[in-house]
Amino acid sequence: MPVALSGTMVDPIFQSDNYVLARKLLDASVVRHQAIASNIANAETPGYQRVDVAPDFAEQLRAQLVSGDLAKGTQNLTPHLAEDPSARSVRPDGNSVDIEHELLAMNRNAVEHEYLTEIITQNIKQLKMAITGRSS
Amino acid sequence: MNLITGIDVSASALSAQKTRLDVVAQNIANAQTTRTASGGPYQRQVVSFETELIKSQGTSGAGLQSVRVAQVTTDRTPGQQVYNPQHPDATADGLVTMPNVNLSQEMVDLITASRTYEANLSVVKTARQMASRTLDIGK
Repeated sequence: MPVALSGTMVDPIFQSDNYVLARKLLDASVVRHQAIASNIANAETPGYQRVDVAPDFAEQLRAQLVSGDLAKGTQNLTPHLAEDPSARSVRPDGNSVDIEHELLAMNRNAVEHEYLTEIITQNIKQLKMAITGRSS
Repeated sequence: MNLITGIDVSASALSAQKTRLDVVAQNIANAQTTRTASGGPYQRQVVSFETELIKSQGTSGAGLQSVRVAQVTTDRTPGQQVYNPQHPDATADGLVTMPNVNLSQEMVDLITASRTYEANLSVVKTARQMASRTLDIGK
């Protein structure tokens, strides 16, 4: 019975906690950018409540990390949008978006996105080095 | 949900702010117009925004909301009446009703519209940078 090679050699790289975490957080970072785009677009719409990535995504990710089986436990975990209940509306029209806060969050998110793509790239390069024996 | 869909949301905001800018420009241009085609002085117009839900991709929770101009309404508050009997549109009492355009209010709207426009532009720029970085994974 032939043994599937992919199960033995590639798993340590693509199932490692860092890599799985980076992939999930990268998904969340893209969803967060969408949320910020929606918030900034609606900065003047009466009654609009700001949205963000649902907080239970981070909680479930942390719980799976602590419990040890990150790769399997988070297979179906996807980030999604939810209204931010902690955003207070300081304007008479009920809009809860603070545009300076959104712009800063967007810049921070862009840096996190860059950081995460770098982690993923380094993981892939490690695999390439293992395959070709050369580090470029 | 990917970065390219998100640009639709910002594009809607750019278009809505552009409309608002056009309306403000029209108000400022007509700040002294005492005679319009329908008779009477110019009445300023006001833009109101509303959201439009982009279909969320089957996941629970909130969805993305783009913005659009709900309607352009006319502000019916009567304008100031100025005593100027020499004016061609003066009534028998010598009073001229001026348009209800308050220039400082319009300038504030103009600046707000243009700052919001810039903020949305920077969202689009960031989305493009993030997509670029994603394409560079592995290189």
